[in-house]
Amino acid sequence: MNRAYLVHVLRANWFRLLLVAIGLAIWGAILPIVYDAFGQQFRSIMDSGIIPPQFAQFGGGDIFSLTGSVALGFIHPFAVALNMVFAVGFAGAAIAGERQRGTLEVLLARPISRRVLYLTAAFATALFVCLTVAAQTLGTFGGAGATGRLDELGAGNLPLLWFNAVLLYGAFAAVALAASISFDRLTPALGVALAFVLVSYFFEAVGSLWPDAAFLQDYSLFHYLDAQRALTGLPDVRDFAILGAVIIIGVAYALAMFPRRDLAAPA
Amino acid sequence: MAVIETRGLTKQYGRQLAPALADLDLTVEPGEIFGFLGPNGAGKSTTIRLLLGFLHPSAGVAHVLGHDIDRGSVEIRRRTGYLPGGIAFWDGLTGERLLDELAAMSGRAPTRRAELLDRLELADALHRPVRDYSRGMRQKLGIIQALQHDPELAILDEPSEGLDPLMQRAFYEILEELRAAGRTIFFSSHVLSEVERICDRVAIVRSGRLVALEDVAALLARRRRNVELRFDGDAPMLDFVPGVSDIHVNGDRLTCGLEGDVAPFLAAIAFAKIHDLTIEPASLEDAFLEFYADDVVTPVAR
Repeated sequence: MNRAYLVHVLRANWFRLLLVAIGLAIWGAILPIVYDAFGQQFRSIMDSGIIPPQFAQFGGGDIFSLTGSVALGFIHPFAVALNMVFAVGFAGAAIAGERQRGTLEVLLARPISRRVLYLTAAFATALFVCLTVAAQTLGTFGGAGATGRLDELGAGNLPLLWFNAVLLYGAFAAVALAASISFDRLTPALGVALAFVLVSYFFEAVGSLWPDAAFLQDYSLFHYLDAQRALTGLPDVRDFAILGAVIIIGVAYALAMFPRRDLAAPA
Repeated sequence: MAVIETRGLTKQYGRQLAPALADLDLTVEPGEIFGFLGPNGAGKSTTIRLLLGFLHPSAGVAHVLGHDIDRGSVEIRRRTGYLPGGIAFWDGLTGERLLDELAAMSGRAPTRRAELLDRLELADALHRPVRDYSRGMRQKLGIIQALQHDPELAILDEPSEGLDPLMQRAFYEILEELRAAGRTIFFSSHVLSEVERICDRVAIVRSGRLVALEDVAALLARRRRNVELRFDGDAPMLDFVPGVSDIHVNGDRLTCGLEGDVAPFLAAIAFAKIHDLTIEPASLEDAFLEFYADDVVTPVAR
């Protein structure tokens, strides 16, 4: 890893990181507060049968418990979008963006191997993902604390939830970084990474809401973020293994392919 | 030991018929300024990118500063300064921050930065964001980032592009001082006058092949000069003078071509009544155009 390049990346992204972290912390805090204020009303509405019961299961659990609400909050489009700022936006642009801008020339004119460059970008991405997910997790902790529901939340298991979410967004980041080293232009790199996220989200949403399509969930990375189980302290290790495997495959692909690529002169 | 040495260096993209670079044999010695000439698409950038490890050779071998270009690329870049053509920067940084960061990434102290800033008159602009720089200022910044750590070898792609004539002169002086200090400069250019002025040797590539590799002085010495003289009385007899060709006499005016040694020509006209004599100096441009005039590529003999 190249420390000077890492410092450059951190300097260039600290303000964006701050904004995303604040947004996710607020979002994380809101869900326990909303649950505290409206949880009973929501349960009454669901009990009335107006809304299909599958909706109550979306996000991996019972949304009429605090843990279920928090689980929903972790894969809500708002949280996903904010987390993807770094998991896909930064990671997808890390190499392809430098290449398109022409600054990869300047970087690779230094005594930095492509593997080191990639690993530095991957480390920065991992750091950003860890911090943004931590912000949401801490927000959840703060929201539960403010409403006096820390015990109900199982706050001691929040690190497990954080780890599970880091693995999820880390897996998307690994795919985005693999796309980033594969293309000379930003658009296809981001396009591939975003398409992967959208298809994955679509499979999870459809599989969750439509029993006949439940098999699709197995093909969605979102399915392997089981926040409710993590908060009970009994996560499914296979979830972690699958997400970890995606990360390893993405990293291995990038480490093998990036040094082999021919980097022709920028157009 | 040669600073740059290539043997049969070849780069072919995919299955396209013509290689971007074919069978390049080149040796650049320590302490020389080596010009690399050729039209767009001739293979100049491909060669530079192969030497720096941006591209992988399809065939052949090359060593830079004693390191194999494929296996020792990082070591090569540790000891080399590189100015890419049309260089781009992170525009939000100030010039100073940018140079600091690039020096930190190089892992070598920017010992020549202050002097280069002074010589290229960029010191006053360093606190401004790079996005506010003109094209010429960006080029100066590019030159400084390539040379600030006093590399043993500088590889410069179109280095004087965007510089005004005063700055070009300052830049040439910097290169000449680097040469005097034992540094080696390898640069590509379209500006023939600058190659002619500062290079010790020049290589000309065309369609991916090396078509000439010579001392600039020797190349110029071999070039045909255009001679025009005005005389009184009989025209001087030049028909059998070595190196003289295309003799045309029109009244009191004689024109001819002159190649090689001028002594026989001067001896032949010594007793003629010459009242005006013009010998147009040979230019590298003539040589360059000659190499590019033919459609048939004649690779240089190895």
